Amino acid sequence: MMKITKQQFAGTIDHTLLKINTTYGDIKRVCLEAEKYHFASVAINPINILLAAKMLKETGVKVCAALAFYLGVYPPELKEFEVRDAVKKGAEELDMLMNVGALKEGRYDIIRKEIEGLVRAAEGRITKVILETCLLTDEEIVKACEIAKECGADFVKTSTGFKKPGATLHNVRLMRETVGKDMGVKAAGGIHTTEEALAMIEAGANRLGVSAGVAIVEGFK
Amino acid sequence: MKKNELARKLVTSIIETDVTEDAVRKFIKKAKEYPFRAIAVDLPYLEITKELLQGTDTRVSAVASYPLGGMTTETKISQVEYAIDKKADEVDVSMNYNAIKSGDFATVLDDVKRVAEAAGDRIEVIMIPQTHILTIEEKIKVYSAILEGGVKAVKINSGFGWNTKPEDVILIKREFGNKFLRIDVSGGVRTTEQALEFLKLGADYIHTSTPDQVLEKAE
Repeated sequence: MMKITKQQFAGTIDHTLLKINTTYGDIKRVCLEAEKYHFASVAINPINILLAAKMLKETGVKVCAALAFYLGVYPPELKEFEVRDAVKKGAEELDMLMNVGALKEGRYDIIRKEIEGLVRAAEGRITKVILETCLLTDEEIVKACEIAKECGADFVKTSTGFKKPGATLHNVRLMRETVGKDMGVKAAGGIHTTEEALAMIEAGANRLGVSAGVAIVEGFK
Repeated sequence: MKKNELARKLVTSIIETDVTEDAVRKFIKKAKEYPFRAIAVDLPYLEITKELLQGTDTRVSAVASYPLGGMTTETKISQVEYAIDKKADEVDVSMNYNAIKSGDFATVLDDVKRVAEAAGDRIEVIMIPQTHILTIEEKIKVYSAILEGGVKAVKINSGFGWNTKPEDVILIKREFGNKFLRIDVSGGVRTTEQALEFLKLGADYIHTSTPDQVLEKAE
């Protein structure tokens, strides 16, 4: 078993709330929880960035925006516009879903263009490229990871959480093998328990997208 | 109702995470067998859809902040502008559901207004209240905000599991009479009988990703 402190474990968590029926009260609650447990970020839809940024000011917890959600099929220039808008409103981490159909069709020029746009518009902030691995073959996952790395993204991320299954140990291992040790790998979707979370870290993830962050950290012994 | 007559009341779509350009082309070629009201595609495919539908009466439909409604007003407007630029005829716009569920109808109204103003008369804006997740009180407030914001067309739900019931159409007719010029039903309509029932209640158009099934029992 790897050596990791509770504090380090909490620091891998993007405390996530993207539900369609989310209220401002829910956003405030996850921000307070994230502050209390020292999570890495609160991951939310762009409509909630302003509120979360206000709540998380000077807490050390970052505002993470879920972009191009949750279908991902937008022209690269509009994706870049959304990233800029998120940054302007206070997002510090930018998780953007790639155009899965374009990847499948071998339109790597489109994938490259949208990731370059993400990195450019992020202006040095953390960028994560979401693959939606449940729709991809191993070869497609490898290709997407290679392009994301070449284009200078900080993380590759398994899933939006809106399609099943989310992260799998196999896909996380494959992504870690492909990007090497210097790039981030975020496992997201379907991680509900402390054991599942630790297994993802063991498989190579250094960031976790979860909505059950409090229970997951409380379960850490 | 004859098949072609019903088809004129249908909007079909090919919108998914892993949709390819090739799939869009094939879908539209097949869809041209019927005089559908409109075909909805993701923004990158508006241009080829417009091209493939040339010479037909079928309209091109775009989507904005769809279907989750998590995008900011600014981002939505960028998508509506893009749809106008690509000569789409109509655009289905998801609303700010988090503001609705928080009771913040000032933000809901502001969002509708700004999108409607940006669109002007260059594209038909259709708001999606997503009644599947709303209480009756919320539904009425949302419809009022849509009208006040200057939009007279609604698509009651987005589909993708957010489905529409006959009561939804009845509620609009009862509370708002004929103030909405266009009522679209989306989500969960699978059969000819269901489609005809919604039309009888006063819906104008029915959205379906499986038009063959919906047309099956038409004459």
